[in-house]
Amino acid sequence: MLKLTLKDLKLFWGDRRAVLLSFFLPIFLITLFSLAFGAQNREDAKPMRLPVADMDNSVESQNILLAIDSLKNIEVEPTTLDSAQYLVKKGKRTALLVFHSGFADSLGSGKMPSLELQFDKSNAMEVAMLQQALMASIMKIIGNKLAMQKEMDKIDAQFAALDSMARVAIKMQIAKSFSDTDESKPIMKMTELVAPAEANVGLIQAVAGTAVMMLLFSVAAVGGGLLEEKEFGTLKKLLYSPINPNQILYSKMLTAMIISVFQLAIMFLYTSFMFNLNLMQNLPALILMIFFTAFAVSGFGIFLAAVARTRAQVQSLSSVIILTMSALGGSMIPTFIMPAFMQKISVISVNYWSIQGFYDIYWRQLPVTDFVFLSRLLVLFLMGVALITISGYLFRKNILKVS
Amino acid sequence: MLTVNNLVKNYESNWALNGISFSINKGEFFGLLGPNGAGKTTAIGIISGIIAANDGEVELNGINPKSNSNEFKKMIGVVPQEIALYERMSALENLMFWGSLYNLSKSDLLNRANDLLNLFGLYDRRNDKIKDYSGGMKRRINIASALLHTPQVLFMDEPTVGIDPQSRNNIFEVIQKLHSEGMTIVYTTHYMEEAEKFCNRIAIIDCGNIKAQGTLSELRTNSGIKENIVLKFAEPITALNKKLSDTFGAAALIEEQSIKIPSDDVKADLTNVVVKITALGLQPSAIEIEKVNLETIFLKLTGKQLRD
Repeated sequence: MLKLTLKDLKLFWGDRRAVLLSFFLPIFLITLFSLAFGAQNREDAKPMRLPVADMDNSVESQNILLAIDSLKNIEVEPTTLDSAQYLVKKGKRTALLVFHSGFADSLGSGKMPSLELQFDKSNAMEVAMLQQALMASIMKIIGNKLAMQKEMDKIDAQFAALDSMARVAIKMQIAKSFSDTDESKPIMKMTELVAPAEANVGLIQAVAGTAVMMLLFSVAAVGGGLLEEKEFGTLKKLLYSPINPNQILYSKMLTAMIISVFQLAIMFLYTSFMFNLNLMQNLPALILMIFFTAFAVSGFGIFLAAVARTRAQVQSLSSVIILTMSALGGSMIPTFIMPAFMQKISVISVNYWSIQGFYDIYWRQLPVTDFVFLSRLLVLFLMGVALITISGYLFRKNILKVS
Repeated sequence: MLTVNNLVKNYESNWALNGISFSINKGEFFGLLGPNGAGKTTAIGIISGIIAANDGEVELNGINPKSNSNEFKKMIGVVPQEIALYERMSALENLMFWGSLYNLSKSDLLNRANDLLNLFGLYDRRNDKIKDYSGGMKRRINIASALLHTPQVLFMDEPTVGIDPQSRNNIFEVIQKLHSEGMTIVYTTHYMEEAEKFCNRIAIIDCGNIKAQGTLSELRTNSGIKENIVLKFAEPITALNKKLSDTFGAAALIEEQSIKIPSDDVKADLTNVVVKITALGLQPSAIEIEKVNLETIFLKLTGKQLRD
């Protein structure tokens, strides 16, 4: 099997076009996407689920919750602070809203309200959209009105002895003070709950998204090599020799996996060199994710070859499937800006699990032993195993049928 | 040495092999002769263990390819009809790769590869990529790649199709050398002259059946044909193909300016032939009596010309 693999690697390196496609094109795209994500305009409001920890439990906080919940595309999830933070740290939610004790009092006194948005900066675009929706649509308007009304009520209660003209004058002064409120003054404290050290989300999106998509193209080409062997008669000749036919299939997969590992490693090294991504931040997790991603995409490569009957079919099938998986899985655009139903579908894509895994490493900073991270590895492994099993069956049924 | 017993193979409703049997002795040069689609390649595929037969048995030195596939495959070498080489690898790299599948040591393999490159006259171009080779040179490497492990039986499926005379002569020389050294060879071909030149015994196969087998002499005797009456003409006669066939039967071999009519009694048939040809308005420029060849036998047994 090693001999077959070495032969395939030799053929791969001899194919300048394949090498160019595997290494230089992704580097070019990573550069392009990194620059593009860095200058991204983040204005579009998008749907999301927002866990809320209401520790004040006041009428004011409840009113605001109702107002937020009524916003289109924001779904409030009342929960405890610990649960909400857990969801964000594990990457299941982007942010959480905390009404601290004394929120209603601070609102009434005109001080900065005890309201805090804790967020995962890896989804910066989504956080920005959420912040804008909360502050512009709810906090600024409702918050000021509630506070002003409360002050007005206090005037009537505290200064009942004054004549009505005097009370009106005071109320006008209060209204003026509210209208003079500096709009740029933060109403809500913003706290990074998951705070990456050096890099930015666009960079991770660019390197992970692009690298996985390009890997799929590379492995599809390697898988297509199986059909090339059939078309050129070398597969038949291999069958004449004393090797197990399955070795032919698995050697292709091993070839695809070796190329994938190198390709991913080079992509990350390039990103580290050019864009200061700290590879040493969690090297074991990175190595594991590279290997499991390579395993899953290699399974995909031989699956394509086993499904198709000719190389031309592989080319057309791979273009359609890879672009679809990449679009769904977040290689082209982050999954969180997709409609909810597409986000649900995205889990069928290898890209999704791999990209989320790289997010876990560099943005959520999960340790290598974290359940969420390990579960992503497990899903990639199972995807690879399923694809290999189906491919093995189809290989024996279709490709080994020599006439 | 090699025994093939009642091989049957059908693809859906088409019978590729309909119960063929033959046996080959050690050191024999055995020809499998048949037109396209006769079942030659299917027979080699089954014998070499890459196609499953519906019925029948194959045994080489007591080893069955179904029960001991790897041992069986180590004893055989197969030169496929198509040129099955890696175009982007050099000739030497190709030979080293194909030989490595038989677990030869690297030094032995390199020596063997260099010997074969010398034998096929390609040593000086051993480092050239296969894609830069001519068709004939590729054919030579294609054969060499089946010889690296020195097989006991070499199957050659149409090894000289579409190549230049220089390569063909080289291949003939190599084949004769291998045979003289004791290698058993199973050879399929379209070319009668190749079969006549090399084969100790020949099996004529058509539509999945073996029509006849034996030495050339046995085939001649069994066919009942002793000689050909050859009529030659100064002008082309192909315009009269149908009339000639109707008159002399399907066994007559009609060419541009000649017709060969098989006969088991030339003295009795010659006058009759001349009368018939004259009746068709043709005047032969020469009449020859030719000893029967394989092509005539094939034509009589199958009703087809081999190169159809």
